[in-house]
Amino acid sequence: MAYAYLFKYIIIGDTGVGKSCLLLQFTDKRFQPVHDLTIGVEFGARMITIDGKQIKLQIWDTAGQESFRSITRSYYRGAAGALLVYDITRRDTFNHLTTWLEDARQHSNSNMVIMLIANKSDLESRREVKKEEGEAFAREHGLIFMETSAKTASNVEEAFINTAKEIYEKIQEGVFDINNEANGIKIGPQHSTPGSPGSHLGGQQAGGGCC
Amino acid sequence: MSEKDSSENPRGSSQPPDEPGDAPSSENSTKEQKRAVSEPVAITRKRPEAKSSSEAAEQEEQKTPEKHDLDSEAKSPSGWGYWGNWGKSLISTASATVATVGHGITSAIEKAESSLGVPSPVELSIRSQEETEEGADSVQSADAKENESSSPITGALGFLSSISTAVQSTGKTVLTGGLDALEFIGKKTMDVIAEGDPGFKKTKGIINRNSTLSQVLREAKEQEELRVSSDFNAETEQKAHYGLLFDEYQGLAHLEALELLSKESDAKTKAILSSLSGEELAEVKAELEPLKEAFSLEEFDDEEELEKGDEEFTQEVTTLFDELHISARPLKLTKARIDAYKWMADVEEDGKKKKEEQAEPEDAEVQGKTSVEDIHEFAIRSLAELTACSMEMFHKAATLILHGESPVPAAARGRALSQMTILLCKELTQLSKRITTLLTITGASEKSDVLNPLITGVFLEASNSASYIQDAFQLLLPVLEISHIQSRT
Repeated sequence: MAYAYLFKYIIIGDTGVGKSCLLLQFTDKRFQPVHDLTIGVEFGARMITIDGKQIKLQIWDTAGQESFRSITRSYYRGAAGALLVYDITRRDTFNHLTTWLEDARQHSNSNMVIMLIANKSDLESRREVKKEEGEAFAREHGLIFMETSAKTASNVEEAFINTAKEIYEKIQEGVFDINNEANGIKIGPQHSTPGSPGSHLGGQQAGGGCC
Repeated sequence: MSEKDSSENPRGSSQPPDEPGDAPSSENSTKEQKRAVSEPVAITRKRPEAKSSSEAAEQEEQKTPEKHDLDSEAKSPSGWGYWGNWGKSLISTASATVATVGHGITSAIEKAESSLGVPSPVELSIRSQEETEEGADSVQSADAKENESSSPITGALGFLSSISTAVQSTGKTVLTGGLDALEFIGKKTMDVIAEGDPGFKKTKGIINRNSTLSQVLREAKEQEELRVSSDFNAETEQKAHYGLLFDEYQGLAHLEALELLSKESDAKTKAILSSLSGEELAEVKAELEPLKEAFSLEEFDDEEELEKGDEEFTQEVTTLFDELHISARPLKLTKARIDAYKWMADVEEDGKKKKEEQAEPEDAEVQGKTSVEDIHEFAIRSLAELTACSMEMFHKAATLILHGESPVPAAARGRALSQMTILLCKELTQLSKRITTLLTITGASEKSDVLNPLITGVFLEASNSASYIQDAFQLLLPVLEISHIQSRT
């Protein structure tokens, strides 16, 4: 499938917070309660549409286990977006956010859009972290925030798509240098709306940084 | 897609470098569209050349990972990012050329086949079942031909005899025999094409210098996506495009991730080595030597003509994987293989039934029989899937080797991985032989200009697949090196 842009995402966060489930819900629209531990990284891809443009999301779902950290750090580079996930029923996963955030900021590019995701919102009765706390953390660190449930699919699409919208806006504002591949953005083979006369413009934009 | 769009697509080779991502020659695209009409399923694309084509010296250079890494490292700090940039990099132009070249090969082969009266792929694939001895000799004669011939015509003869070698050779190794011969076909054709296209050599040179395997693959895939999306018969073409399918099975992502790990490991190894001196340095270097040896794939014998049973293959892969002592099983790979053989068995069964019923052969032909196009599509899909699974397996192996302590000496793992590579390559050879035989039987009533490109396409993609697997295998060397160094302390 032709796309206008390709964004690389990474999903990070403690083990068992539901990273792989979020990905599966987003790519396959299904929920699988029992998951194997992720080894290193797994992948998923899906096409979305923003502003009439086809955007392909290439998602790297990393292992949450501490012992894989040094390996997964290699994968942070060149991601345009990150979903930082914690589990509202386990306060420790919330407490570890600062470490994750430092790690992410240190090993990725500075423009990377980070979405803070409070997962398992369907387990209201076992909630340990209030929504307000998540919101406050996000505000403080300049992240977007959402509560999701990979089980009920609540807000899952939105989380992935809103992140993409933010990246897209940054592109429009010129924050992202789309010719620098290190930003995790790639211009696809079909940059402009199919058949529109704008294809010229797209081509020029694409070739803009050429020497 | 509109005509306009297709003429906006980057696939020309003679474009000025200032806008390589845009505006290809419309001459090319119309030519391609004509071609698409005449042979809708002939997707014989030459594998994008990540390696140097002729000079052995250059090949050697490619093998030293340092140079490669430094180049791409300097270009961009990100492993993922070096995919190249649409419209920016010259590689776009280069792989556009490669995509076009693929078509040249098809037509060159067909032309030569039809005009020179040499054995067709159909015959050859039948012979491949029977002949076992002649292979080695004809490889040599093909090699000799390679050296002396430079004109397009002898070149064509040369590569045709190589095709037959590739198909027949059973006494010779896959690496030096069949694969080399297929590589040779590609090179020869490229050389022939290069004569008519002076710019081609230059762009090919650029590919060699500045790209990594996954980058080249991705570029080629995009070119293909673009071409496919602008084609009228997009659907049939897309079905059988190796690069797109390979990506669909996440082969590209795993390869990319493996490259990231490989680079990182290499950088770490270098850092550690540079901190050592004198005796200690010499000691470590001496220890790494046997590891390197494990990665110089020795010639392997393809004599076991016999196809492996499902269990046998699964058993062998599992045993080799066990030797790595890592906690994962290559289930996906073995399943993909089992599925492929099951499908073929079903089609064969169907074919037999049809033959028995042959009351109204004309009718049988029309009624939903598996067509040669179906089989071709299946072949390409299976090759792409098996290769993608192999990428995944190597990537997981790298991850787990880096992850765990190592109870096994790195050199032993290296040997197991090398055996695995050989096993996979042999498997691909067997699979493509089986599929082309099936194609030949099923397509007995087809015209040869329909059947031949399909068969050639399967052989070419099988050889490409084997090359990808061998390249991915090489990426594991730095991983084992750092694993060894870290286990010393």
